[in-house]
Amino acid sequence: MGKVIVVTSGKGGVGKTTSSAALGAALAQNGDKVVVVDFDVGLRNLDLVMGAERRVVYDLVNVIQGEAKLTQALIRDKRLESLYLLPASQTRDKDNLTAEGVEKVIGALKTHFDWVICDSPAGIERGATLAMRHADVAIVVTNPEVSSVRDSDRIIGLLDSKTLKAENGERIEKHLLLTRYDPARAERGDMLKVDDVLEILSIPLLGIIPESMDVLRASNIGSPVTLADERSAPALAYFDAVRRLRGENLPVTIPGEKRGFFGKIFGRKAA
Amino acid sequence: MTAVLTQPRPIRLKGRSYLALTLTPELPFEDWLVRLDDLASRSAGFFLRRPVVLDVEGLEIDRTQLRDLVGKLGARNVRIMGIEGARPSLLGADLPPAMSGGKATGDIEEPAAAPVREAPAAESVAAQPTAPPPAKAAPASLVITQPVRSGQSFFAEGDVTIIGSVASGAEVIAGGSIHIYGTLRGRAMAGTLGNGAARIFCRKLEAELVAIDGFYRTAEDLEPGLRGKPAQFWLEGETFAAGSLG
Amino acid sequence: MNLRRFFFRSQSAPAARERLQVLLAHERLSANGSDLVTKLRDEILRVIANHVQLDSEKVNVRMERGAQVSTLAVDIEIPLDAGKKAA
Repeated sequence: MGKVIVVTSGKGGVGKTTSSAALGAALAQNGDKVVVVDFDVGLRNLDLVMGAERRVVYDLVNVIQGEAKLTQALIRDKRLESLYLLPASQTRDKDNLTAEGVEKVIGALKTHFDWVICDSPAGIERGATLAMRHADVAIVVTNPEVSSVRDSDRIIGLLDSKTLKAENGERIEKHLLLTRYDPARAERGDMLKVDDVLEILSIPLLGIIPESMDVLRASNIGSPVTLADERSAPALAYFDAVRRLRGENLPVTIPGEKRGFFGKIFGRKAA
Repeated sequence: MTAVLTQPRPIRLKGRSYLALTLTPELPFEDWLVRLDDLASRSAGFFLRRPVVLDVEGLEIDRTQLRDLVGKLGARNVRIMGIEGARPSLLGADLPPAMSGGKATGDIEEPAAAPVREAPAAESVAAQPTAPPPAKAAPASLVITQPVRSGQSFFAEGDVTIIGSVASGAEVIAGGSIHIYGTLRGRAMAGTLGNGAARIFCRKLEAELVAIDGFYRTAEDLEPGLRGKPAQFWLEGETFAAGSLG
Repeated sequence: MNLRRFFFRSQSAPAARERLQVLLAHERLSANGSDLVTKLRDEILRVIANHVQLDSEKVNVRMERGAQVSTLAVDIEIPLDAGKKAA
């Protein structure tokens, strides 16, 4: 049985889709079978970020409505053969996402894949709650900025109440992925500090992804950053995050800081 | 909005809960009223000056019947202050307002079967069938072991204790005091059931708003010296007081 | 180190522009319901279904939308006895 991960944030534009694609590609590079599911019905973008936009035949809504089989809607990545994408519908309304339909699709994906990554839409409405519903693990994507932190806190509250795990009295595993971290601004003291964000949200840190041109370049050419440029700083940070996701106890380094010092502080907290 | 903000003394809006007598009428109303009259005859003035709530949950009646019943009760000096369990369509401007969220307390004792007589003064002290004061059970308190997240709201009639932090955009409301062992970034409202002795304590103060018994302070009015520090709030008469802790 | 990467790489913005142009051209068409490739896909499947009982598990449709040329590949497994049923 595969693990279901939801990548969520509440706020838009913080890097959910970029992170879903990058983490998916990083996980698949070890040979694990990975599917990344776009839940943003009506505003799909994952296909673009993963460079599969020209090959979309059927989508999640087609599968839920019984118009296509799951196998027909899955798009295999051209570069990594164990990486798949299930696109969202661009033309349909999000009311077409039904709770039963999503349950069926996720249930089927879990039996075929090692990792099912659900890329949540922004907001706290239907699309977002359905994306998190069946998750075993939640990755909360947050920018070091006040409105993003508050929205993340709201989402953590929902994760603790609206997911199946929470309803069954279990605790859903939650991780913080701090994205768009700008070492220069941190140096000037114009950005929320990592330990402040951690203190406020009080969930373990999965990784810090530096703000980088490499992320933009990767999405321009339609490739997850972990595939487009494996040696770039953001790619390395995503690879580290994946190792922590697999259970490795790897200290987190803050971009622009010396390795080790903060590792001591956050090493324990890292999942 | 601006007018309100320039008022030096804002209007205090507070919630308060009271003990009310609940009557649950049964169909047919004629028979039920006969039994009620019987009860009332044993204790004249039992319903007088008491707040009475009518619980019509599950009764198949229309608005005319309800209005008729309220009228008949009124004629018996039973004044209905609110109606519980009624469909919205049953109620109107000419009827008492809907009430909800009531909690059962100890039953109010029926008046003694023997009619109250003019008794010798010495005896009356012991025998007077006064309705006993409602048993004051300790109000339920609440302990929250997880951080209170933005958008969440907790309420307890007694004290609320939070082991973690209260996020910006979250609120904690207590009839009693509020104890926060983490950082208070959201709102904390203590003593909301009219308890001016309630206090708010927090390990680190970053609050958006604190209130006790309807008196409140927003972040801007809080003493800047307390920001980021352990703090407590209480009322001194009608003034809001704040101080450091420990 | 960043400088070297900067100079040795081609620009990515033109790639982004081209991808978007192709994508939006197709999306505008399909919004009107007049996207040729989607129409072909649906009609081909319908015509074949008239003659052969299709096992939807055994149908594989692939599309590649390009700026000049789009390709549509419909891969259908037809069982030996399927013709009889349809006749």
